[in-house]
Amino acid sequence: MTEGIKRRDFLKVLGVGGASAGLAGCSTQSAETLLPYVVPPEDITPGVATWYTTVCRECAAECGMWVRTREGRAVKVEGNPNHAVSEGALCARGHSAIQGLYTADRFAGPRVRRNGVLEDISWDEAETILAERLQGSGGNVLLINGPTGPTLSDIMDGFVSTVGGTRVEHDGLSEAPLREATRIAFGRDVVPHYDFESARFVVSFGADFLETWVSPVAYARGFARMSGEDHGEKGQFVFVGPRLSLTGQNADEWVPIQPGSEAVIALGMAAVLVEGGADAGPYASLLGAYDAANAAEQSGVEVEVIRDLAERFVSNGPSLAVGPGVAGQHRNATAANLAVHVLNSVAGNIGRTVHLDSVSSSASARPYGEMETAIGAMAGGNVDVVMVHGSNPAFTLPPASGFVEAFGRVPFKVSFASEPDETAALADLILPDRHFLESWGDSSPRPGVFAVQQPVMQPVPHFETKQVGDVLLAAGTRIGRPFGPATTYDHLMARWQELHSVSGDGADFEAWWRGVLRTGAITVGAPDAEAAVSLREPDAALTYDVPALDGDGEFALVVYPSSRFGDGKQAGRPWMLELPDPVSKLTWHSWVEIHPDAAERLGLRKGDMVTVASPHGSLDVPVWTYPGIREDTVALAMGGGREMAGRYGTGQGVNPLQLLPAVAEQPSGALVHLATRVDLTPTGERYTLATIEGADTQHDRNIAPAIALSALGHEDESGYGEDDHGLSEMQLIGGFVPVETDGEPTAYPLPGAQYGDYANPEETPRWGMAIDLDKCTGCSACVVACQSENNVPWVGEGEVAMGRDLAWIRVERYYETVDAHHAGVVDIRHLPMMCQHCGNAPCEPVCPVFAAYHTPDGMNGQIYNRCVGTRYCANNCPYKVRVFNWYTYTDVPEPMNWAWNPDVTVRENGVMEKCSFCVQRVRDTQNTAVLEGRAVRDGEVVTACQQSCPAEAIVFGDLRDPESAVSQKVAHERTYRVLDELINTQPGVNYMKKVTFHEVASAAH
Amino acid sequence: MQKSWMLGAVAMLATAGTLAFVTQEPAEETPAPMAAAQAPNPQPIQFPHDVHAGTYQMECQYCHFSAERSVDAGIPPVSTCIGCHTMIPGEQQPQEVAKIREYFDAGEPIPWVRIHKVADHVHFPHMRHIAAGYQCQDCHGQIQEMGVLVDPDPAWGKGKMGWCITCHVEQEAPRDCTVCHY
Repeated sequence: MTEGIKRRDFLKVLGVGGASAGLAGCSTQSAETLLPYVVPPEDITPGVATWYTTVCRECAAECGMWVRTREGRAVKVEGNPNHAVSEGALCARGHSAIQGLYTADRFAGPRVRRNGVLEDISWDEAETILAERLQGSGGNVLLINGPTGPTLSDIMDGFVSTVGGTRVEHDGLSEAPLREATRIAFGRDVVPHYDFESARFVVSFGADFLETWVSPVAYARGFARMSGEDHGEKGQFVFVGPRLSLTGQNADEWVPIQPGSEAVIALGMAAVLVEGGADAGPYASLLGAYDAANAAEQSGVEVEVIRDLAERFVSNGPSLAVGPGVAGQHRNATAANLAVHVLNSVAGNIGRTVHLDSVSSSASARPYGEMETAIGAMAGGNVDVVMVHGSNPAFTLPPASGFVEAFGRVPFKVSFASEPDETAALADLILPDRHFLESWGDSSPRPGVFAVQQPVMQPVPHFETKQVGDVLLAAGTRIGRPFGPATTYDHLMARWQELHSVSGDGADFEAWWRGVLRTGAITVGAPDAEAAVSLREPDAALTYDVPALDGDGEFALVVYPSSRFGDGKQAGRPWMLELPDPVSKLTWHSWVEIHPDAAERLGLRKGDMVTVASPHGSLDVPVWTYPGIREDTVALAMGGGREMAGRYGTGQGVNPLQLLPAVAEQPSGALVHLATRVDLTPTGERYTLATIEGADTQHDRNIAPAIALSALGHEDESGYGEDDHGLSEMQLIGGFVPVETDGEPTAYPLPGAQYGDYANPEETPRWGMAIDLDKCTGCSACVVACQSENNVPWVGEGEVAMGRDLAWIRVERYYETVDAHHAGVVDIRHLPMMCQHCGNAPCEPVCPVFAAYHTPDGMNGQIYNRCVGTRYCANNCPYKVRVFNWYTYTDVPEPMNWAWNPDVTVRENGVMEKCSFCVQRVRDTQNTAVLEGRAVRDGEVVTACQQSCPAEAIVFGDLRDPESAVSQKVAHERTYRVLDELINTQPGVNYMKKVTFHEVASAAH
Repeated sequence: MQKSWMLGAVAMLATAGTLAFVTQEPAEETPAPMAAAQAPNPQPIQFPHDVHAGTYQMECQYCHFSAERSVDAGIPPVSTCIGCHTMIPGEQQPQEVAKIREYFDAGEPIPWVRIHKVADHVHFPHMRHIAAGYQCQDCHGQIQEMGVLVDPDPAWGKGKMGWCITCHVEQEAPRDCTVCHY
């Protein structure tokens, strides 16, 4: 079974990749060689992309991935539509995997510490040293690892039992309380799987299921299907928590509770349902004590709100309650998760929207308590060799845990990190692992769902790496105690041959295996019908009350996982650093969120530096005022403040774990994140926040209008409605006369306009897009997908602060209604803004060199080799979507340039650029269609943003074809075009209004 | 406009140990096609297109294998050369044929000097032009008559888009910028 490897033996040579030395402009008179393959790989055609399936390892959700390779190099990752979890979508962090693969900071090879300095050594030498140390370890080996697949997990178990020692799993984001609560409530040691799509009423007690919680891509997709308006119906979502995360921003209502009071609210709601006759089983007496009145008293929420919420929770079913998530992990977190389970159970959601058949093996559900024991063992001198893989505890644990000191006491420390991190910096031996896009593995994110992680390219040759499984297996052999076959691949095969015997349907293994590699994932049988699950008598003493927080500071401190960095894993990647945070729209640096009223009280403005001090530590960070946080609470994102994260991430921002104690919650053993109170003291200094946010409200401009659900079907069609924003008054004094248009405003091309010269204009499509703002969650996966596809470089913090960011998509976030003081409506609008491809584009007539012009097929073209950089077009663009290369930002260190998409020109300084509607994909599809002698099919062209969107909010296609999916969307009553009625730009990008449950101030828009 | 990703090839090959092949300088002044036979050949192997495509009338796409299905025409793998030349020692220049065997046995690519190249901001899809019935010679010149491959003026080497456009106008092919530039 070596074909899989053999066929990628192409590394020795490239296809026709030209090795050029300083190409100059249009000249071809330069020394350049064409290097053929010696023996061509069977499945590579030069110039044609080859796709491989694999598994994303950026977080523990293990989404399916498709990787686009050109001439043997991975250039773009996308979601695998065959995968039952992610269904073809991918999040921003997943997209950044390609930067993890090519980062110039990866270790070039193994290193050993000699006289305190890390020196490069050969793999043979390194493995000899490892074997010697293992020989002499006396069975006191400690292996710490992060999320892994089943095969690697087996190998690690085999290794640990062979050399003698223990294995501890650690991930910075642990859902251990959820898993423990599920065990206590139902006797199932699993992290449940939630069916958002089937729910009609969702309450999140602080769970950030659109960003980081358990399986964010799958849940975002389910949530968008639930909450997106469809035939006049949509599900409701209420967010209960002290701070609006991105998930909270997508809620219809917000109940701003005192931090830590999730459990009492959930129990209070359940008690109301029991009053109404629901069965709480063994929890009946508990609910007698924790009734709605108690909940109101402890949480500061009015009792009517809790009663109303409870009643709607059952009457609008099927319902679903989730939470509290990592940010809400306080000292009674297991009780809080249990309370949510009780609520779900009382409302009859178990088996309907809550499924208890999920696997429990993922590291994301491992408790900190295990690490606490391991730290004790290391500190006590009971560990001779410690090995760390896929985990960075020196950063992801609070300093107060004592990990760094305890780790330092171990005589021999091994790190398998492939790029520098805080733990590897302390190690004596570094054995760089391969990137997941270079190595074999597998995953089983749900029962019955199995996926193969196959290498999509030969290892990047700049780095001499070895897969961790192979190193462990080789170590066993070297010390004379081999365990099992020699390579990870052999183990993987053995495992999948077993799987084949139960699910292969008698097919030949080779054929079956090729099929598996092609689809990337298989679903084996339907999960067994769930036996009726009911609540059990709790077997642990739990406290449901609001926990006390350390210290007597003015503010409770919320520490939440970053949607860009997770626990810090992606914080070294420039794409993620420069991606505006979906909530704050800030890039690169960290910030502390504080309510504007509290800030005013302290005399603080955005950008003022403050010292945030808890009883456990303090740090300096700039202030960012946010109406979506309670006045008595401040919040900091995890993942910043990396000290060893390569040339881009090191020293960016602050690490809030420095403010936390190292406390394991009981009984789950999870690290407590909501633990302390803090005080804010201004330092008197200012920090220039690098933001892309121009305004946080729409200033009445109706860029992202909404429509009430009740108004659907009988909307006033008089355009801007009664209120014309003073336009008629201004017209009285002259001017402000609307542009006269012949025919329908949406007609294309404009009557009298001569767009291009295609032979057959009637059959030329007009490419257009529709974006459903009722589905869009603002997650920003599209932004990174676009950067990867279109070679959009990052520019750095200082340049962003000067407004020179180059992203082609800007996700606007506008506050409409945000009230942190009372439970009620929350209305925050997200709008992905990119080139609108106007039919009547203001940028086009002002370009003196025709670099900005209109294509016959309805796109606003930008021809880089024509552009001379006058920037007139950007000045005339009402949407601010044109960006300028002030410098050549594309001179990136080798091999980061390997990530460039060869189908798209890499731009230099002096060139204007903007969204191209992925014209390279349009042309590629057209080429294919012509060769096959047919027309381009509807839905065949998929733009990068559309492909990645977890919410399925984006549709692309031909607006001229009335049957196309995009035309159907355009014909919808919710559809509008930004600013079109004011300035007659006739955009090709159509937005569908967000649908609210509350009345919208200006009904027409 | 540089396609920096291409530069990756340099380092990739460096690790594969192929930098031993030093690129030769291309001919300084491209002579007219007529004088081609006398021009110094910059290639590592004196490959005669006139013998292969002319005398023996081999199909261009036998070697340039991806022209009809890819934007890239494809450079023949060394295995394609050796496939025939295992049995054919070469009548006129056996010493050149012998070089193929050296490259093949060493597992190294032949570092051909590039003659035909459009600028990096131009996307020329070979397969569309083949599908439309054009001959390789329409752009590349009378290759089957060239002992030494040269850049046929004015299509190549001067960066002249007018040559492309003239044909597109004559053939009523699209003249939209984004057909080639993106």
